[in-house]
Amino acid sequence: MAAHLTETYACVPATERGRGILISGDPKSNSILYTNGRSVIIRYLDRPLDVAVYVEHAYPATVARYSPNGEWIASADVSGMVRIWGTHNGFVLKNEFRVLSGRIDDLQWSPDGMRIVASGEGKGKSFVRAFMWDSGTNVGEFDGHSRRVLSCAFKPTRPFRIATCGEDFLVNFYEGPPFKFKLSHRDHSNFVNCIRFSPDGSKLISVSSDKRGILYDAKTGDMIGELSSEDGHKGSVYAVSWSPDSKQVLTVSADKSAKVWEISEDGKGKVKKTLTAPGSGGVDDMHVGCLWQNDHLVTVSLGGTISIFSASDLNKTPLSFSGHMKNVNSLAVVKKEKMILSSSYDGLIVKWIQGIGYCGKLERKVNAQIKCFAAVGEQIVTSSFDNMIWRVPLHEDQCGDGDCIDVGSQPKDLSIALLSPELVLVSIDAGIVLIRGTKVVSTINLGFPVTACTISPDGTEAIVGGQDGKLHVYSVNGDSLTEDAVLEKHRGTITVIRYSPDVSMFASADANREAVVWDRASREVKLKNMLYHTARINCLAWSPDSSMVATGSLDTCVIIYEINKPASSRITIKGAHLGGVYGLAFTDECSVVSSGEDACVRIWRITPQ
Amino acid sequence: MSFRGPNASSGMGVDEHCKSTFTELQRKKVHRYVIFKIDEKKKEVVVEKTGSPSENYEDFTASLPENDCRYAVYDFDYVTAENCQKSKIFFIAWSPSVARIRPKMLYATSKDRFRRELDGIHYEIQATDPTEMDLDVLRERAN
Repeated sequence: MAAHLTETYACVPATERGRGILISGDPKSNSILYTNGRSVIIRYLDRPLDVAVYVEHAYPATVARYSPNGEWIASADVSGMVRIWGTHNGFVLKNEFRVLSGRIDDLQWSPDGMRIVASGEGKGKSFVRAFMWDSGTNVGEFDGHSRRVLSCAFKPTRPFRIATCGEDFLVNFYEGPPFKFKLSHRDHSNFVNCIRFSPDGSKLISVSSDKRGILYDAKTGDMIGELSSEDGHKGSVYAVSWSPDSKQVLTVSADKSAKVWEISEDGKGKVKKTLTAPGSGGVDDMHVGCLWQNDHLVTVSLGGTISIFSASDLNKTPLSFSGHMKNVNSLAVVKKEKMILSSSYDGLIVKWIQGIGYCGKLERKVNAQIKCFAAVGEQIVTSSFDNMIWRVPLHEDQCGDGDCIDVGSQPKDLSIALLSPELVLVSIDAGIVLIRGTKVVSTINLGFPVTACTISPDGTEAIVGGQDGKLHVYSVNGDSLTEDAVLEKHRGTITVIRYSPDVSMFASADANREAVVWDRASREVKLKNMLYHTARINCLAWSPDSSMVATGSLDTCVIIYEINKPASSRITIKGAHLGGVYGLAFTDECSVVSSGEDACVRIWRITPQ
Repeated sequence: MSFRGPNASSGMGVDEHCKSTFTELQRKKVHRYVIFKIDEKKKEVVVEKTGSPSENYEDFTASLPENDCRYAVYDFDYVTAENCQKSKIFFIAWSPSVARIRPKMLYATSKDRFRRELDGIHYEIQATDPTEMDLDVLRERAN
């Protein structure tokens, strides 16, 4: 038996309010490149479910660029390292250099692919460095900036020039190689966010948080004109991208719109079209990144929504998709619509459909953060970091008005009785709370710190796990619980307990890397020695026919065991999610969906060998 | 000065039968595995169980107790990349983390002396839980 990856629902670029992000792409393979956390994500626009992820950075990655010939990718991170690796052949590392002493904000290749310029924060000394790609030797001195350099650009035609811009409101121009300072412009009155040469090498444009864009001559660096303020942006302009024919530019701004400008020969820009992506109109719709590639205008919003407009038909509604930006800590499969719901701790719930991909975000009336999440039938129950449990009905796409229930202290774990969903068991610090409908029917102080809990589908039995590794089995009668048995086998705090779908068994997992399957009726150990993880087990899922158990752990692996075979014959999926696997569910007999710290959701198919 | 006899650290002797059973496994291939136990009363390492060549690895792991230490020798047959049948003898010091301190100490201190008696062991494995003496681990060591 083996498992292989069938689909990846990728995360979206990591964004930060008040700053733009830089995404890049390769026109030849029609792919876009962006970063989230420590991963660099390569997404193919014509195959949205096919995503390649580079995970070798030790620090959060900030920007990545294809080389002009498309063979190499240079990616940079917050520690000042630049890694150059091959696009094909398993991302073989070509070179790694420590370029700056602080975070790198922008990176550009020279048109011949021999030099790379990187700019960012240098702790006072070096804000910009240009070096040869294979040896790392410097090719110039870049002084002239006193604050963080937000963007840099390499003139795509000879004679080579480099332009940089930064938080000191300056746009600097360097001639070379070896590159030397030529001149500086201080025409902007706020942070200059992005600077780009046109593909034909004739013009240079810089955009700034002062809502303006200024055009310069690319060879001399003199200012030639600016983007017209009539119908201009009403908020900081975060990024700019030229069209392949160098006659138009795309700019995106915090005023939630993207504008396409026509650039005349003498360097003046006029708005051709304003594009607004559909959104709820909140802060999340501020646009922070853009890219003009072939016929596609790609814009990224602060909330992570990627919209693709068509350059030839600007009036067509854009194709939008989104995903998670942060750790996806739980998953639920809604059988009826064959939908997968994933939730991350920042309160975002996203719907995915197997085979198609992104289906939509669940609009919730209250956007509180989510710690635990469970979905059954037509309802979602979530608990957040305050003392509330929200019970929200699910109508197709939207959530109806939810009811909130106060449980008295922060809920640690949550479980719904699948067959009678008005019964919910919540575990809090030293006890459990039983909720029927929207009312707390009993709060029981158990006297030991409770770390995991589960309630059987018919609501008659509950199992509570403690910090000492003991499993307490209670039977639920009406509103009270009576202790039936205490099971001792685990040697660490219990992290998750789950009943099998046919309710004949239950499985528990602990922080000491061990999982155990018990027989429910006799309370005897049915399958043990499931010790193959190397770090705490975070989540556990049963297959619909109760024949397989999957466990996901902080060690980034997912291990699938078969109940009637010894634990040593198992399927291991290594490196499922960088940072740890936090959510796990079976969609059908042979597909497992997993989610983790890298904000991606992946579907694996198990094939018998 | 104290001449503590066979084993200077723990005072355990090695039974003659152990050596001869091991030689049988090595030369005549009449056993698949041998499990040794320290008998505290006789102050010696003795043979607890042997397995016939038809038994497999699962039978071997099943014969090891869950919360007590043992020494074991296993004859591992495999096929190399060049397609030749090879056989390596593994010495396994089974010391599960759930066992009590006293057996762990006893077995740990006597291991060296005991191993010196068994001449012809190819690889040694120390296992503190079943995953550490998994068949994959043996296969990896052998290649």
